[in-house]
Amino acid sequence: MQPSPNYLRIYPLSEKAVSIAFGQTISEQNLRDIALLNKLIEQQPLPGLLSTVPAYATLTLFYEPGTVKALHSLKGETCAEKIKTYIDGLGASSNNGVEVNSRRITIPVCYEGDYAPDLNFVAEHNNLKPGEVVHLHSSVTYKVYMIGFVPGFAYLGGMDKRIATPRLSKPRTVIPAGSVGIAGEQTGVYPLTTPGGWQLIGRTPVQLFNPLAEAPALLKAGDEVIFKSISLTEFNEYLHENPYR
Amino acid sequence: MKIRIVKPGLLTTIQDLGRWAYLAQAVPVSGAMDTYSARLANKCIGNPDNDAVIEFTASGASFIAETDLLIAYTGGGAILEVNEQQLPPNRPLFVPVGSNITFTNSRNGFRTYLAIAGGWDLPLVLGSRSTYTIAGFGGHKGRSLQKQDILESSQNLTPLAEKIFLSLKTDHINYSSWHAGVPFRTLDNYTIRIMPGHEFGWFEGQSIATLLSTAYNINNRSNRMGCFLDGIQMKRRHQQELLSTAVTPGTIQVVNDGSLVLLMADAQTTGGYPRIAQIAAADLPLCGQLKPGDAIKFEEISFHDAETLYFEQENNIEMIGQAIAAKFR
Repeated sequence: MQPSPNYLRIYPLSEKAVSIAFGQTISEQNLRDIALLNKLIEQQPLPGLLSTVPAYATLTLFYEPGTVKALHSLKGETCAEKIKTYIDGLGASSNNGVEVNSRRITIPVCYEGDYAPDLNFVAEHNNLKPGEVVHLHSSVTYKVYMIGFVPGFAYLGGMDKRIATPRLSKPRTVIPAGSVGIAGEQTGVYPLTTPGGWQLIGRTPVQLFNPLAEAPALLKAGDEVIFKSISLTEFNEYLHENPYR
Repeated sequence: MKIRIVKPGLLTTIQDLGRWAYLAQAVPVSGAMDTYSARLANKCIGNPDNDAVIEFTASGASFIAETDLLIAYTGGGAILEVNEQQLPPNRPLFVPVGSNITFTNSRNGFRTYLAIAGGWDLPLVLGSRSTYTIAGFGGHKGRSLQKQDILESSQNLTPLAEKIFLSLKTDHINYSSWHAGVPFRTLDNYTIRIMPGHEFGWFEGQSIATLLSTAYNINNRSNRMGCFLDGIQMKRRHQQELLSTAVTPGTIQVVNDGSLVLLMADAQTTGGYPRIAQIAAADLPLCGQLKPGDAIKFEEISFHDAETLYFEQENNIEMIGQAIAAKFR
């Protein structure tokens, strides 16, 4: 395989950000191409670069304009033009042997009792038994496509369509951190206590976002995620051993 | 130096110039809504631009000087008073211990920034002192300031801050005869400059013409995440789904009913609504002064011109800092 960043075009988002577009679809190919370009950027960092934000089909670079403008070695008048020169240079010169390894992260989930208020509804909606919903939800490997919406929230791909369920008609005002939900054909974990309209089928004792940690979000784009069914006792044991910081 | 909050007012938070290194983990930028005024307040007393300031919303707050203070305030949300004596904005103010400072009404804008010599002494969280109340971190205990909160400044004063302090220190209220040069720009008849967003072409020509010619009003649901704009709604040329992608403060999204939402400091980092426009970075601080009911108009410029305006403004701020330093050489 010859990895090569195959982006379509580059456009400014603001005076402090440019986006690199990879197409119009959610695909593992886009995910890989974006991860690869992100890796190349990491290996040959741009002075003034503040953040790179992967999304389904874009990678956006946020930068400090004064620093980028002063990079006389990069062709271009505006910051956006200079960054285009930089990106083009990455693709041309350094696509040999770069590999993007994805991490595999197991997230324990308790699909029982108060932690699963909508499990029966999801089961009935899909003519399944609750146990079958749990099995289908916890037997696939999910892919993290992007982090967005709220700090640490992972957009996951790969859910079995047999457990797809529409959102609640009336969102809940409080959904506790760690709640695992389904909305249409998507599944995800709420990293923070927020309002929300997803069907809740379980809860994880794992903290998905901790602002005091060096890497505050547990997940990042490209990760593989597996949900592992645990009992209420195991849930409490985990919390006891790993209290929220 | 130390203050105690007596009345917190509508929404009072610690902010700096924001948190830019964790956008990939969906941590918003946060920071001052009007970064220009926040930087100016710091410059007036010799602080670095990124020192923490207090952002007050509208009027009504008050605090007590628990020690002698060297402070400066900027922005358009309020006028500071001590014993019904107004304190002038945009310059260093010496306030003796025991003074009770109140924020009275100002019709110019919505937010006021209070800087203190040395900066407000709070821990960095993810590289910034900005408060992000939604997730409860940063600033003072991750929340807005409350009655009886005590805030202290760092004792690490810059040499310039030391000189300014010594030049004004006495036993009564004292302030410089010079000011930082830039009076607060009001939004009366002010036009906000925008660049076409990436999905600009998704909208009907008539809607674009409307966007660039009619006024939009700030809805009272607006907050630090975004301003909801009341006005004529946008019509799409074709229905098409946007895959969630990066957004940033200053992005104007068009939601499903065609209404405009202007994303501000605490906005989420990604969104799935089409981005019709982006506010010029040079005009974004002004948007932080918009209050419910204010009317704004938009004027289209190119990204190239917007970048030029941005660097002109940066130069201008730099020159203000140099001019202040020159007074104490």
